[in-house]
Amino acid sequence: MDLRNLSVCQAAEDIHNGEYTAHDLIEKTLENGSLLNESLNIFIHQAGVDALEQAKAIDLRIEKGEKLPLAGIPVAVKDDICYGVLPTTFGSGGFSDFYSPYTATAVERLMEAGAIVVGKTNLDNMSLGSSTTSSPKGATINPWDNSRAAGSAGAVAVITGAAMVALESDSGGALRQGASSCGVAGLRPTGGLVSRHGLNLHSSSFGQIGVTALTGKNIDAVIQVIAGYDQYDASTLISKDESILEVEPVAIENLKIGFPQSLIEGLEPEFKAICQETINLFKEQGFEISDISLKMLPEALRAYYVIAQAEASSNHARFDGIRFGSASEADNLEELYLKSRSNILGREGRQRSIYGTYLLNKGNFDLYYRQALKVWNLVRREFGLALTGCELLLMPVVKNLPPLLSEGKDLISSWEEDIFCAPVSLSGLPALSFPAGMIGELPAGLQLVGPPFSEKTLTTVSDIVVRNKQLFPHGKA
Amino acid sequence: MSDIEKGFEKAVKTAKVDLPGDEHVRLYQQLGIFANWLEPLLAVDTTGIEPIILGHNSVNVLREDFAHKGVMAELQEAAPEFDEGFYLVPPIIE
Repeated sequence: MDLRNLSVCQAAEDIHNGEYTAHDLIEKTLENGSLLNESLNIFIHQAGVDALEQAKAIDLRIEKGEKLPLAGIPVAVKDDICYGVLPTTFGSGGFSDFYSPYTATAVERLMEAGAIVVGKTNLDNMSLGSSTTSSPKGATINPWDNSRAAGSAGAVAVITGAAMVALESDSGGALRQGASSCGVAGLRPTGGLVSRHGLNLHSSSFGQIGVTALTGKNIDAVIQVIAGYDQYDASTLISKDESILEVEPVAIENLKIGFPQSLIEGLEPEFKAICQETINLFKEQGFEISDISLKMLPEALRAYYVIAQAEASSNHARFDGIRFGSASEADNLEELYLKSRSNILGREGRQRSIYGTYLLNKGNFDLYYRQALKVWNLVRREFGLALTGCELLLMPVVKNLPPLLSEGKDLISSWEEDIFCAPVSLSGLPALSFPAGMIGELPAGLQLVGPPFSEKTLTTVSDIVVRNKQLFPHGKA
Repeated sequence: MSDIEKGFEKAVKTAKVDLPGDEHVRLYQQLGIFANWLEPLLAVDTTGIEPIILGHNSVNVLREDFAHKGVMAELQEAAPEFDEGFYLVPPIIE
């Protein structure tokens, strides 16, 4: 049983048909995870007996005639998403033994549909980053090139068969960039489509729960289960009476795709070539490609880092060792706050708390923060305008290969890596990163961006590329 | 002390984080680079543009506004003891 050649729907159907059991599938997945975890550092905590017990329970329910759309599907969950059965560390030394008293809505919905959590995946400290290099557990290794960071441990779990699906968070692009680096598909859904209840948000405006899987079709199967209204998250957009299942995909015949040609001028030739190959493939499918303008990406990136840092400084104020997080040893209360917060937040968190506070100081608030909120408005308008002449946008995900583990980047260079992803987060639109080609022995992705609730169209169109280029990837591990 | 230095020191104090080693110096030096990097953001003409506070166009869903008697009678009935608009409970402090 090779999980990398098995679709989510096929596996669930096989289990219902008695081809194999949920227990067999989970046992195989746990075995893959255990074999690879030591070398690739995928999981912070792996499920063992619990997952196997859950699988047995799923098998019993199926024996009794129940139909479960995700029966026995092994899911990896990023460790900033609460799951009550395993510790939830947020990648912080200040939460190393924290058990959440509740489970995130998205995870609960997956479990109700028959899916089984096989582990909590590695992440940057407090999820602040897109390389996992600031994790107290160390970076997750890219399975295609062990000298490089993977970006997303969930993507590694999927590509190596340690899970079939991963739930991950995406604020400025971590999920999409990780998917690109590992050769899998990763969806950041429409803002408000998937409940964020149980996600430790550093940015309230931009943080979303998304899905990583081998194909768009697999992602679609998961989104249909987790999307929708949640009474615990007032930012969910769909009312109680509606369902994502009722949203029709646009007809993909004669699809018009906008591509910002000017954006790729500064890219390395290999990245340009991947863009051009994908455009050619879309043209062969009968799609019309039009040049569109997205001039505000540099300003959008800056607005993102002003707003996200301001929000991080506010959202992380509660992590003080008294209200949340473990308390450090100290001689007095002031010292306890200082030391506990320093330990909980880590290097990147300390920086964001200070810079965020600076940006919100009297005198800086209007200059930086309010200006960023206005630019955010302009960025949304620009994306809206770009989509008036086409159904989807095609954009790069990254402009460089994933970083070498030995590589230390300065602050601005590391933020500039988000130039194609963070602006899309400001737009609130859904975006799907999909494997579009190889640069040497490393996969590289592109992203499709669509209007709100166009997830089904995004997954359908991205799978055309994956299918036509026979890019079903096989991580070397 | 320059304005940026004053602002930085105030932020360090307000954020309440212990900065190990040379991190204090590094973050201050880096803040100048960050501020320079933000110049293109400040140069955007935002005259007449409203700041937005949500990533989507949703609005509050309000319940229908109509007068009704409420559930006070039901609540009174459910309470063990009720007198002149107050629930009667055993004293906590003797």
